[in-house]
Amino acid sequence: MKSIQGRLGLGLIAVLVLVSLVLLQASLWLFESALRRTLADNLREETEGLLVAIVRGPDGVQLDPDRLSPRYQRPFSGHYFRIDLPGRTWRSRSLWDASPQWPSSPGLADELIEGPQDQRLLAYRAEYQRGGQRVLIQVAQDYSPILQSFDRVRLTGLVLVGVSILLLVLLQRYVVRLALRPLEQARQQIAQLQEGHRRQLDTDAPTELQPLVDEINHLLGETEETLKRSRHALGNLGHALKTPLAVLNSLTLRDELTEHPSLRTALREQLTQMEQRVARELGRARLAGEALPGTFFDCETELPALFDTLAMIHARGVSLDWQAPAACRLPWDREDMLELLGNLLDNACKWAKTRVRLTIDRTDEGYRLCIDDDGPGIAPSRRDEVLARGTRLDERRDGHGLGLGIVRDIIAAWQGDWALEDSPLGGLRVDIHLPQRVARTPERTR
Amino acid sequence: MRLLLVEDNVPLADELIASLGRQGYAVDWLADGRDADYQGTSEPYDLIVLDLGLPGKPGLDVLRDWRGRGLATPVLVLTARGSWAERIEGLKAGADDYLTKPFHPEELALRIQALLRRASGVPNQPLLEVGALALDEQRGVCRQDGNEVSLTAGEFRLLRYFMLHPGRMLSKSQLAEHLYDGETERDSNVIEVLVNRLRGKLGRDVIETRRGQGYRFGGSV
Repeated sequence: MKSIQGRLGLGLIAVLVLVSLVLLQASLWLFESALRRTLADNLREETEGLLVAIVRGPDGVQLDPDRLSPRYQRPFSGHYFRIDLPGRTWRSRSLWDASPQWPSSPGLADELIEGPQDQRLLAYRAEYQRGGQRVLIQVAQDYSPILQSFDRVRLTGLVLVGVSILLLVLLQRYVVRLALRPLEQARQQIAQLQEGHRRQLDTDAPTELQPLVDEINHLLGETEETLKRSRHALGNLGHALKTPLAVLNSLTLRDELTEHPSLRTALREQLTQMEQRVARELGRARLAGEALPGTFFDCETELPALFDTLAMIHARGVSLDWQAPAACRLPWDREDMLELLGNLLDNACKWAKTRVRLTIDRTDEGYRLCIDDDGPGIAPSRRDEVLARGTRLDERRDGHGLGLGIVRDIIAAWQGDWALEDSPLGGLRVDIHLPQRVARTPERTR
Repeated sequence: MRLLLVEDNVPLADELIASLGRQGYAVDWLADGRDADYQGTSEPYDLIVLDLGLPGKPGLDVLRDWRGRGLATPVLVLTARGSWAERIEGLKAGADDYLTKPFHPEELALRIQALLRRASGVPNQPLLEVGALALDEQRGVCRQDGNEVSLTAGEFRLLRYFMLHPGRMLSKSQLAEHLYDGETERDSNVIEVLVNRLRGKLGRDVIETRRGQGYRFGGSV
């Protein structure tokens, strides 16, 4: 699912993580190098202090304990020195028995060296000339507390970065959702359009969306208009073709033809074929199919009129009833749906003994329509043939073949499927499953 | 039975007038919606066959206006527009039946026959039966107590009208209005002659005469 929200979120997180980590690391690095410079100064001063502590005593050169900081006395205090004179070496008492790897070049050592008790030492080496003697003074300071505090700072920094990213992402989602609300509205409206709950998108969209909304509305209007026009034109064409056919039908009854029964039969046969062909093709061309998203069939207004019509056509005591969920609106073109139900119910009425029933149910994937009658039904072995050809086998009552052909076209256009079954009423059940067109946004972002 | 045929296609109208005439209906023909609008309510038709695609005024509007003015005559709509949506539209406007073009002339005859019987409250059976009489409308013969009685066209028309209005008092002018189209000279003597001939064929009691009022059929059968 490609969502603008997701993309923006991902981009933002990536940038934020990268920038914060670089900033954090760079500031730590800068701080540490400044700190090391200060510490190096301090250590150099220490060496100078130690140099001063080398005094000439009664036994020759010695280290004046009074001038030594007490931290050099306490074992493993973290402050150490080693003074090398030609022929003499002093080690601070704090070193105890440890002998660290003193650096070999003067100045601050690049690397930390291993100290006693897992200490990490920052070492400094200074060389002096004193009284013609070369004095090598090396001092070291335990660097681990600083390392630890750096780690703490880094950890705190990371936590802070994490928290701020979280906050920023939440904030960004909110802002983006606010900014994308018109898009979300448009999406919902398109879903409503497909379910047949509206015919147009709202026109008060923001300027960025306005052309899109206008174009969609324009297309909807255009499609509806085109459908209306083509239906009208087809109606006219039908009228133009069917009236002459009716005339020809009547002409075949002329007395002049009574003497030529084979001619009359052939003429009527051809005329019937033409009629059926014209009716079938015009019927098929009339179908809206899935062209129009904003259409719907309102059961509670359309079905009573359809059933009144059927009751009037079949005024022979067949009881007709229908059942549908309350306020049921089927998301398909009204005329197509009337054609589908009209043909199937008409068929059922022709065959029923006493009862015809229409049941409309919602299912998970769409709708299920059942048309039941208590007529003679169709033997299971012959049902497939009926479905395939769209004709009822025994065509003694007119109109079946044609009607079922249109029904098949409509169901195919809606990508539904249908089956013929035994009806609980005793006759035939036509069972139709129609999948609902869904707006392709199952993801709910809130 | 007098019918109004409103159809703008002249060849079809010619055929229909001829075939309906053969079936013993008196047919008036109009091709324009505005004329039909007027004449439908001004003349006492027993049934109207209305095409929907009319010049002057659309058939559905004509039908709505007729019903709006309280016309109760059965109307059979004849149209090439056969979709269910249009069919429902037609019946909502007040049509009693709906026949789509092209149709078989027999189908039209059967529908007209059924509508006329429904309008008269007579059950729709193959034969029109009243008392001991049974009329075969397709063949134009009458059966009485198992014997077939052949009828002339005029006799058939009159008997059918009587049988569709059993027990009703019908004046001579009323009968003439319903048996002849608007262009035929109406001679009330012809009705008298036909009534007498029917009595001769079917028995005196079949049609009762009330002086000054008219005839009554089926009083004693």
